[in-house]
Amino acid sequence: MKDKATGNPELNLRRRKAVESFFKVLMFVSTTAVVLSLVLILVSILWKSLPALKLSMITKTPGSGYYLGKEGGILNAIIGSLELTLGATLIALLIALPVVIYLNTYLGKHSFLAETIRFSLDVLWGIPSIVYGAFGFLLMLFFQLRASLLAGMITVALVELPILSRAMDETIQLVPTELKEATYSLGANHWQTTTRVVLRQAFPGLVTAILIAVGRGLGDAASVLFTAGYTDRITTSWLQPVATLPLAIFFQLNSPFPEVQQRAYASAAVLTWLLLLISLIIRSLSRKFSRNKIR
Amino acid sequence: MAERGRLSLKNLSVYYGKNQVLKNVNLEIPEKKITVIIGPSGCGKTTLLKCLNRLLGEYEEVRIEGQVIVDGQNIYTPEVDVTQVRKKMGLLSQKPQVLPMSIYDNVAFGPRLFGLRHQPELERLVEKYLKLAGLWDEVKDRLYEPASRLSIGQQQRLCLARGLAVEPEIILGDEPTSALDPQSSRNVELQLLRLKQDYTILLVTHILRQAKRVADYLAFLYLGELVEFGPASQVFENPKDPRTRAYITGEIS
Repeated sequence: MKDKATGNPELNLRRRKAVESFFKVLMFVSTTAVVLSLVLILVSILWKSLPALKLSMITKTPGSGYYLGKEGGILNAIIGSLELTLGATLIALLIALPVVIYLNTYLGKHSFLAETIRFSLDVLWGIPSIVYGAFGFLLMLFFQLRASLLAGMITVALVELPILSRAMDETIQLVPTELKEATYSLGANHWQTTTRVVLRQAFPGLVTAILIAVGRGLGDAASVLFTAGYTDRITTSWLQPVATLPLAIFFQLNSPFPEVQQRAYASAAVLTWLLLLISLIIRSLSRKFSRNKIR
Repeated sequence: MAERGRLSLKNLSVYYGKNQVLKNVNLEIPEKKITVIIGPSGCGKTTLLKCLNRLLGEYEEVRIEGQVIVDGQNIYTPEVDVTQVRKKMGLLSQKPQVLPMSIYDNVAFGPRLFGLRHQPELERLVEKYLKLAGLWDEVKDRLYEPASRLSIGQQQRLCLARGLAVEPEIILGDEPTSALDPQSSRNVELQLLRLKQDYTILLVTHILRQAKRVADYLAFLYLGELVEFGPASQVFENPKDPRTRAYITGEIS
């Protein structure tokens, strides 16, 4: 029953096995490359920062002559980044949440308005942050603000907004239709269904969306470059300039003194660890609140 | 109270785009009895149920003609508030959909929707309806656990309790036992038999034996048409239409 078209079955089998093995090896190499680069980044930053990793890095602000190699730390930038990102994320959330609720509750999935909004958000997500920085600068001039915490917050909020919106949107879309139907069948209106059931079901995904946005906001340099200014002190007022970790890294790396350059790597390490810490805290909180989620 | 639970369909036709799924259905559902709709898959049974609580227009491209009259009023007129219509109907889906909250919150969800906040009253209602659904004994010690941890049979009874808690007049069941094991199925059937004293029940099923066990009245739906309707014993023993006879004897399914 050997068909001319299928050819020799023995050869066929060996060829298929060879193709599979080839791709298996390729996939293994790619995975190794990815993991290796991650490890390389973390290790090299840690390595270069070793001499400068002292407790005073995170507990002191820059003393005079800090950028020439003298005493101090980056506490100003740590606190500044936290202040700025917290504020920016809150602003972004305040706008993103209503947009996402409206998109998923009152608009049909394929309505023209819904597709336009989603498309716009996708495009906004792709705009480089330096462009947001330039736009933020323009706003500052228009409102006669100086480089400050407030201006920085607004600009970073703009950066985070499309990310937050689209990530939350995708999560909410994953909530099964049958669950919504069951809720409607009980006599709930759109608003009640969304707030009491859909958002509850989507909660872990919403938290992940916030984490993604925070990650972007915390580490972004281009958007704060012209809008947040910089200072060696800890900022306590909206209208004062504020220090941020990405800029701290930038300025320290720029220095001709090797001790200061080492501090730049130490700052990078601090930034990385800070992000990790925030992620862990928020994830553990999220787990507590989602014990009731289905599936 | 005279008109509670009165349900009738007049010239009901439903179109999905160009496809006519229900063809001119005229049906008067008897009060406080169990009416079972049988028919082969794809004949429009689920569509018919979804028409009754106006769930159909939510997501798909549907056109509905005709009237669905509940308690003397056509529910498809613009003045009618759709949430009030749905409150009158309790829907049991094929696959139990528990809400992402505790067992207690699932049952209390309905009363809370309509403004009830008084704690002792809510507790009383939760216990009452869990008992009515035959689930109280199994969950009374773990009311605040997530509902998703229940077995599928228990989840379906929870959905029953939850649906009853909004105090409907009519219970709609879309093949409510087809996802359950025989023991849980039997459980749900027993609850429905007990409930028909107070509620009008409309059940859709493709299990003929189940229809035989619970039906007071039988309706046979075939390719979107209501072919026959009458008391269950009469339709089973003496079907008037040859198509009904063919389905009941198993020639077509």
